[in-house]
Amino acid sequence: MADTIGTPYVGRAMKRVEDPRLIKGLATYVDDIRLPGLLHAVILRSPHAHARIGRVDVSAARAIPGVVAVLTGADVNAACGLVPCAAAIPDLKAPKHTVLAGDRVYFVGHAVAVAVATDPYIARDAIDAIDVDYDPLPAVTNPEEAVKSGTPLTHPDLGSNIAYTHVVAGGSDIDEAFRRADRVVKHRLCHQRLTPMPIEPRGVVASYDPGEGTLTLWTATQIPHLLRTLLPGMIGVPENKLRVVAPEVGGGFGAKLNVYPEEALCAHLAMRLNAPVKWIESRRENAASTIHGRDQIGEYEVAVKKDGAILGIRTRTVADLGSYLQLLTPAIPTLTGLVLTGCYRIPAVKMEIVGVYTNKMATDAYRGAGRPEATYLIERLMDVVARELGIDRVDLRLKHFPAPAEFPFATSCGLTYDSGNYQGALTKARQLANWDQLLKDRAAARAAGRLSGIGISTYVEICAMGPSKAMPAGGWEWGCVRMEISAKVTVITGVSPHGQGQETTFAQFVADRLGVLMEDIVVLHGDTNVAHYGRDTYGSRGTAVGGSAIVMCIDKIVAKAKTLAAHLFETTADHVVFEKGTFRAPGVTNREIGWPELAGEAYVAKNLPAGLEPGLEASSFYEPQNFTFPFGTHIVAVEVDRDTGHVAITKYVAVDDCGPQINPLIVEGQVQGGIAHSIGQVLFEQTIYDENGQLLTGELMDYALPRAADIPEYILGSTVTPSPVNPLGIKGVGEAGTIGATPAIANAVLDALQPLGVTHLDLPMTPERVWQAIKTRTAAPVGA
Amino acid sequence: MCEMKLTLTSVVPADRARVFAALIDADVLRRCIPGCETFTAKGPDTYEAALKIGVAGLKGTYSGKAAIRDKQPPDSLTLGFEGKGGPGFVRGSAAITLSADGDSTRIVCDADVQVGGLIAAVGSRLVEAAARKLADDFFRQLSSELSTQQQ
Repeated sequence: MADTIGTPYVGRAMKRVEDPRLIKGLATYVDDIRLPGLLHAVILRSPHAHARIGRVDVSAARAIPGVVAVLTGADVNAACGLVPCAAAIPDLKAPKHTVLAGDRVYFVGHAVAVAVATDPYIARDAIDAIDVDYDPLPAVTNPEEAVKSGTPLTHPDLGSNIAYTHVVAGGSDIDEAFRRADRVVKHRLCHQRLTPMPIEPRGVVASYDPGEGTLTLWTATQIPHLLRTLLPGMIGVPENKLRVVAPEVGGGFGAKLNVYPEEALCAHLAMRLNAPVKWIESRRENAASTIHGRDQIGEYEVAVKKDGAILGIRTRTVADLGSYLQLLTPAIPTLTGLVLTGCYRIPAVKMEIVGVYTNKMATDAYRGAGRPEATYLIERLMDVVARELGIDRVDLRLKHFPAPAEFPFATSCGLTYDSGNYQGALTKARQLANWDQLLKDRAAARAAGRLSGIGISTYVEICAMGPSKAMPAGGWEWGCVRMEISAKVTVITGVSPHGQGQETTFAQFVADRLGVLMEDIVVLHGDTNVAHYGRDTYGSRGTAVGGSAIVMCIDKIVAKAKTLAAHLFETTADHVVFEKGTFRAPGVTNREIGWPELAGEAYVAKNLPAGLEPGLEASSFYEPQNFTFPFGTHIVAVEVDRDTGHVAITKYVAVDDCGPQINPLIVEGQVQGGIAHSIGQVLFEQTIYDENGQLLTGELMDYALPRAADIPEYILGSTVTPSPVNPLGIKGVGEAGTIGATPAIANAVLDALQPLGVTHLDLPMTPERVWQAIKTRTAAPVGA
Repeated sequence: MCEMKLTLTSVVPADRARVFAALIDADVLRRCIPGCETFTAKGPDTYEAALKIGVAGLKGTYSGKAAIRDKQPPDSLTLGFEGKGGPGFVRGSAAITLSADGDSTRIVCDADVQVGGLIAAVGSRLVEAAARKLADDFFRQLSSELSTQQQ
C-alpha cells in the first residue's frame, strides 16, 4: 500500500530505511574507505601488564621494504597531547595518558610503537621486527587489595592506587536510618568486567590537506562532534579546520563513546608523513585496548523495619578503573550512585565510591553505564530483603513504589523522576507472564524435583542525557531542517546514530509534522562538515534530545511558511491553517498552497513579504530541562539442569515504558538487543585478567557472547507514560533492555536454586558455577 | 592460566652420561629444539637462540636466552629461559633429572612456565598442549640424535 500524505507514520512498526544498504553490503564503514596513496598503520602492543621499557630497537623494522615509518612514544608523544578525560570528579588523581607508552607500559595491550607501511601486511610484519626490552614490574590486578597500603602501585608517581573517593549521599540522615532499623540486611555484590565487543572493531582513516591545512578524520565513533571539540587540543589542528566523519558504525554500546589514542595518532601520522593513514583494529586489539565495562564490587547494607519498610541503603563500592582514565572513566561509577534507590521510595542513601587504578584496560561507559550496576544491586537487594524478612518480593516492591500522582518524584539520590506509573508496568508484565500460572508451574516443577525459578525486576533508569548543567560538555542537541526548493526535505541532526534507526524515526515524525511523504525526507548525520554542531549519541539521548531539536526546527519552518502563505493569500498569518502539508485560509480564500509551490516561492524569492528572508531552513539548539526516566518490569522463568548447571530461559516478559513510541519495531529491536547483552552478562561473559595482569579473554573463543540459540522468544509489552520534559514526550529506550534484564535473570536463577539453600552466586552464572553450587548443596551426606 | 607447571617425561635410548652431554651441547640442542634457527653459546652455560614456532595457532619468531645452572652430571641440571616475539613472551625454568632405565635414560622435566601477551590472551587454553607437543618433538629428535650417534 502506497503511503499517502496525512496517514500518520508515527506509531507504525516500520522497517528501517537504513536496513537495505546494510543487508546488501552497500554501507561504507571506515575500512571501506580507500584513498590514493593510503598508508597503513599497525600498532605494537605491550605483552606485559606493567613493565619498564628499556631499549627499543626499530632498525630492523625500518629496513623492511615498504615500511615508511616506525615510531615510538619518544617520537610522537610531544606532538600529540594527552588523551583527555572529561569527567570532573573532585580531587581526582590522574596519570598522564600519552598517545604511545612513555618509559613504562601499564596494561597488556598498551600501545608502544607504530609501524606505517604501504601495505597492512608489511606493517604487521614490521611490528614483529621491533625489539623491545621490557623490565617487568609487579602488576596490580585485585582492586580490593590495591587500596591497601604497602601494595604495589599501578602508577608509582601517583603515590596511591586510589584515583578518587566520591560520596553520593542524600535524603535523611543515613546513620539515623540504621539506628532506627529493626534489622540490617547485608550482601556483597560484584559486577564483573565485560568487553563491549561491537561486531565492527574500531578504525581510523586520517587525511591531511597541506594546502588548505585541513584534516579529515573518518573514525568508527559514536561522537564525531565531541572529537572535533577535543582533538584540536591534541593534534594542533584548529576546530574549524578539522572535519570528523563517523561513517557507518557497526555497533558502539559505549565502547566508541571515547577519544582514543589511535585517533590522535593517525591524525599526527597523516600530517607527519603527508599521506593518508588507515588503522583498523583487530578483534584481539579490540579485546585488549578498547574500553571495558562495569567492574564494581560492593558491600551493601540495607536498614529495614520488621514490616519490610526500607529506611536506608549504604555501601562502599570499589570500582576497578583500569590503568588510565578514558573520556568518562571515573564518572561511570558515580552514575550508579545516582540511581541506586531504583524506583523505590528509600529515604536515606549513602554510597561511597572508591575508584582504583589497576594494570588493566580502562573501564568506561558500556551499555547502560552505571544504571545496570545500580539496578542489579537494588533489584538483588529487594529479593534478599524479601527473603530474609519472609515478605513476598512483589509486595515489597509495590510497598516502596511512589504513586503515579506523586510525579515529578524527588529521590534521595538527588534526581527528580519526570513521570512514572511503576504499578502499571508491573501489572501489565504480570498479566503478560500469566503470573499466577507461573507460580503454579514452578510449584509443580519443584514437586517433581526440578529446579524451576521465577525472577522479577522493576527498574527505572536515566535517559535523554541531558541537561547541560549535569553534563561534562553540554547536553543540548542541535538540528537543522531544510525544505528544499523541490519540496524534498533534508534533516540534519547532531546526534550520530549507529544502529538506533534515527534515519527512520526522525523521518517518521518529520513527515507527519510537515505533511510530506517519508520517501521525500533524508536524514543526515555523523559528518561535522554537514552537521556542524552536535553532542552525538549515547545515554539514550538521540530521539529524546536530538529529536526535540528537530521539532523546534519544524515549528520554525511552519511558522515562516505560514507568513509566506499569508502573503500569497493576501491575509495575515493568524488566518492561515496548516494541515497535512497544505496551507489554507478558510474564510479568506478557497485557494490551497502545498509545499512545492510554497518552497518554490521561498527560494525563487520574487514575491516575498517585506522583511522575510528567502529560503525555508531552520536550525535549533535544544536544551533539555531534565533527564527522562524510563521504567518497566521484566519477568523471567528459568529451569536449571541439576546435572549440568545449564540455565534455560523458559519465559521472558518485558514491559518497558519509554513514553510514546515513534516506531514500535525499533523499540522492540532495542529492547531485544539490550536483553541479549544481559543474557550474556548473567550467563556467559566475563573479561578475565590473571594475577599477573595477563588478559585471558582476548578473542571470541574465550569471551563467550550469547548466540542466537541462547536467546529465548521474548514476550514484549509496553505502557505509555509520556515525559513532560520534551516536546515529543519521549523517554528513550537504547539501554533499558540491558538495565531491566540482568537482575531479572539473576533473580530467576537464584529463585530456582532457593530450595537447595543457595542464596548467592556471582555473575556470570555459568554452567560450571551453577553446577558447583548445586553439587555443594546436594553432596551433604543424607541421614549421616 | 598463564602460569603453569608442567611435568614432562621421556625415555631416550642412551646412558645418562651421553644424555647429559647432549643436553648441554649447543649443536645438539640446535638440531633438536623444534623450529630452532640459531642456538649460540654466549658464555659458559649461557646461550642465545632464535626459534620459529607456532603456539596455539600463533606463528611467530621468538628470540631468547637460556642458561644452565646447578649442573650435577649425570643426574640433574636446571634450565632457565626467557623468550620474546611477536605473539608475546615466554619465560620460566625447568628442573631436569635423569635416571637410569635399563640401558636407557628416563628424563623427568619439571617446568614452571609463564606466558604473556597474545599467547595468553588468545591461546591460554592451548598453551599447555602446545608445550607438550614441542617437548615431545624435542625428545623424539633427541632420541634419534643419540641413536644415530650410537651407530
